[in-house]
Amino acid sequence: MSKSLVCACEDVTASEIEHAMTKGPCDIESIKRFTGFGTGMCQGKQCLNAVARLLEAKAPQKPAPEQLLAFTPRPPLFPTELSYWASASFDPALAPGGGVPGALDVTAPTLRPTAPIKSKAKIVIIGGGIMGLSLAWNLTLQGETDVVVLEQGYLCAGASGRNGGGIRAQWGTPTLITLARRSIELMQRFARDMGINVWFRQGGYLFLAKSDDVVRRIEKSARLHNQHGVPTEILTADAARDVVPELTMKGVKAAAWNPKDAVIFPWPFLWGYATQAQKRGVQVETFTRVQGFELSQGKVKKVITDRGDIECDTVVLAAGAWSAEIAKLAGVHLPNEPHRHEICSTEPLKPFLGPLVSVLDSGLYFSQSMRGEIVGGMGDPREPAGMNLGSTARFLTRYAQALTEQLPQAGAVKVLRQWSGPYDVTPDNSPILGKTPQLENLLHLSGFVGHGFMMAPAVTERMAKWMATGESDELFERFTLSRFAEGRLEREDMIIG
Amino acid sequence: MPRIKPLESKVTIELDGDQLQAREGEPVAAALIAHGLLSFSRSPKYHRPRGPFCMSGGCSQCLMRVDGLPNVPTCRVPVKAGMRLERQNAMPDGRLDLLRANDFIFRDWFNHHEFLAGVPIAEHLLLKIARELSGLGILPERAAAEREPAIVEHLGLVIVGAGAAGLGAARHLAERGVAFSLFDRDVAVGGRLLTAAEDRQGAPWPAPARLRAEVVGLFADAGKPFLAVTEGGRLHLVFFERLLLTVGTHATLPTFPNNDLPGVMSGRAVAGLIRRAGVLAGRRVACVGEATEARALAELVKSAGGEALAVGEEVVRAHGLRSVDAVTTTGGGKQRCEIIAACGAQTPAFELARAGGAEVAWSSQNQCFVVQADAQGRTANPTLFVAGEMRGPMSSAAAAAQGHAAAMAIAGSAS
Repeated sequence: MSKSLVCACEDVTASEIEHAMTKGPCDIESIKRFTGFGTGMCQGKQCLNAVARLLEAKAPQKPAPEQLLAFTPRPPLFPTELSYWASASFDPALAPGGGVPGALDVTAPTLRPTAPIKSKAKIVIIGGGIMGLSLAWNLTLQGETDVVVLEQGYLCAGASGRNGGGIRAQWGTPTLITLARRSIELMQRFARDMGINVWFRQGGYLFLAKSDDVVRRIEKSARLHNQHGVPTEILTADAARDVVPELTMKGVKAAAWNPKDAVIFPWPFLWGYATQAQKRGVQVETFTRVQGFELSQGKVKKVITDRGDIECDTVVLAAGAWSAEIAKLAGVHLPNEPHRHEICSTEPLKPFLGPLVSVLDSGLYFSQSMRGEIVGGMGDPREPAGMNLGSTARFLTRYAQALTEQLPQAGAVKVLRQWSGPYDVTPDNSPILGKTPQLENLLHLSGFVGHGFMMAPAVTERMAKWMATGESDELFERFTLSRFAEGRLEREDMIIG
Repeated sequence: MPRIKPLESKVTIELDGDQLQAREGEPVAAALIAHGLLSFSRSPKYHRPRGPFCMSGGCSQCLMRVDGLPNVPTCRVPVKAGMRLERQNAMPDGRLDLLRANDFIFRDWFNHHEFLAGVPIAEHLLLKIARELSGLGILPERAAAEREPAIVEHLGLVIVGAGAAGLGAARHLAERGVAFSLFDRDVAVGGRLLTAAEDRQGAPWPAPARLRAEVVGLFADAGKPFLAVTEGGRLHLVFFERLLLTVGTHATLPTFPNNDLPGVMSGRAVAGLIRRAGVLAGRRVACVGEATEARALAELVKSAGGEALAVGEEVVRAHGLRSVDAVTTTGGGKQRCEIIAACGAQTPAFELARAGGAEVAWSSQNQCFVVQADAQGRTANPTLFVAGEMRGPMSSAAAAAQGHAAAMAIAGSAS
């Protein structure tokens, strides 16, 4: 057929770009995510200008030149074999810093909508990531539709759009196991409920343990999993090699294997929740920043944004790693700290890797996406707290060395792009949920330490019910902000990275 | 035959089991084109045939499996005796691909968000099929050989790109006695002076340069900027005091129906094949698009024994099933041809500059993103300069003048 291709790497046609323009926002980052243009072997070298030309000629609202913003180019400039990166060295004693791009680029003032914002709403949700959007959707199921969601960038600009898409029930506490299992159920039927494919693929999670300490940890949590109906098995290194024959099992003492864990494609979850919530009357305002709060008599009266003030009854702070910064505007101290986590993606390969594999000792994890890329990362124990979304060569080196130790053929596989996202880290690795002492209508939904994506469907289902009915729910009593002052921490050990 | 000059020394390479003769050291893609082969690979979703487009490692249309490694840009790999090439992502093979049916089933495009979304049973089937069809190449057969440890270098002034602008700068600096290190990923200095059809008077100034040195990233770990360079099979981490980027352009795919057919190439790719590899990509070449380049290319094609048509016209559509067999243009109606050379397809390669802190803005006039800099090439980052086509389309003389101006500013501030 005579198609006009825009992105030849990913087979994206001009008609598809034009369709995307009618379906949603017309900024280049959003169009890129919705159509997949610029994400293939050439990383946009061949197509970016063609898309910008189409937008200038055909977008429903002609963009001004300053509204046509090139997407952020990601290193490397050309696909580069992991063995090159593995050949460099790094100082494990030094804290990583810096990165490219140097400036944070999740928001863009030139893309701020000019239309006035709603001046009054029952509920304002700050943060248009998976938490905020799924809460908005669940609130509509409870009959609450007078809801505004505020997002500082495009949808998927924050951690919800930057994660590896791993979904697992292998957790270390009964609460998280229960939540994760419910989330997995909801994610399995997401396409049916929301009308958008999320590529939910149950390839399992294979945790590798290299030290006696970690072996004891996975054995202990496997017993807990089995009590809660999660079929985790402890395997010997040889048996784990049967799951993924390409793995060397170098230094591996045992493995935990749950074939029911899964990998999803994160972005469509946000679009699905946003679209369906909007259909029921929720306002989702992108490129809109919160600048402050008007407080009176122990309550938030108004949320002040760069597009005007919104008077409201309840505010939910669901801004992920940005939550502490926003809470400060209301005079509330959150112990959350942003920590950069870097991640990268390789050239697309024919399917060979079923599960998501993670080495618990080092924080290495990798899986194969539905497009065939090896997507993976590795937390850096020396990463300092602070909002930084830069990418470093140090990460590629650490990751390449750790990955090729487990999967030697990956040395000749080329890295296509690297990026990073912020973990929202709390002192006990557990979330902050529920009310604020002294500010009764400011509710928290943050602090998920890199696993918020997989918890969101279940947590927000319960939160919406709790908000709408007032029925008590232990989640919003146990995981409160006040626990830190009261000294009752809720420690979670099964954190990757 | 599309070879302008006969092969003097031949080696044998293998493509999907067939033996082919080629010139040692020439780009693999050029060797295959010389055999009249334009169809190199299959596209990911619709399994449309694809062939070389940019001939400079900036697109994905010429990828093949080479000696057991997946997704190798054949335009960047030199021919070696006994080399094994395989077409990827086709069933049963690259010549006949039954999955091309996708192209006809999804006539306009495939809505991957909504297709069978939530349809019981069908969605599971879709997931299984999509998974099986995903990916391009197959995982490498063996573990990669370990590389020599990366080399850390500390240099003063670094110039990346030995094209018109980079050479303009290098020449001025050499004359002033200012030390610099010049990197280029090609096998010779010159950039478009070696490949473009237009303004090709005189040989490039033979600057001392590190060749086959590909800059793959500009990083700033711990706030200190450095380049990651692959050179001689080794990674170099090159710290610098000042950086002049003169990396030129990538080729943007022009938008028209069947623009991805094998035989649609950038004007510079067609010209470069003639000038450097001595290969005329096809007998009849439609030299479409920007007029100056198109006219120059038409002359070059004729001098190589080919026929030029539709010179400077706009393409309405390309025709052909496996590769281009005709073109319809606004002025000329439908005409038979094997190659459509898109002139004026080049757009600035801004990635490194952006990583280095330069601003990038859309130019409505030039219809491309350009790097922002002052008359001397200074960017928002005071240690980063840019010159040449990264700042927008310009002749090689203008690019050389910009390189010269940037060099003067750098040398001035150095002394």
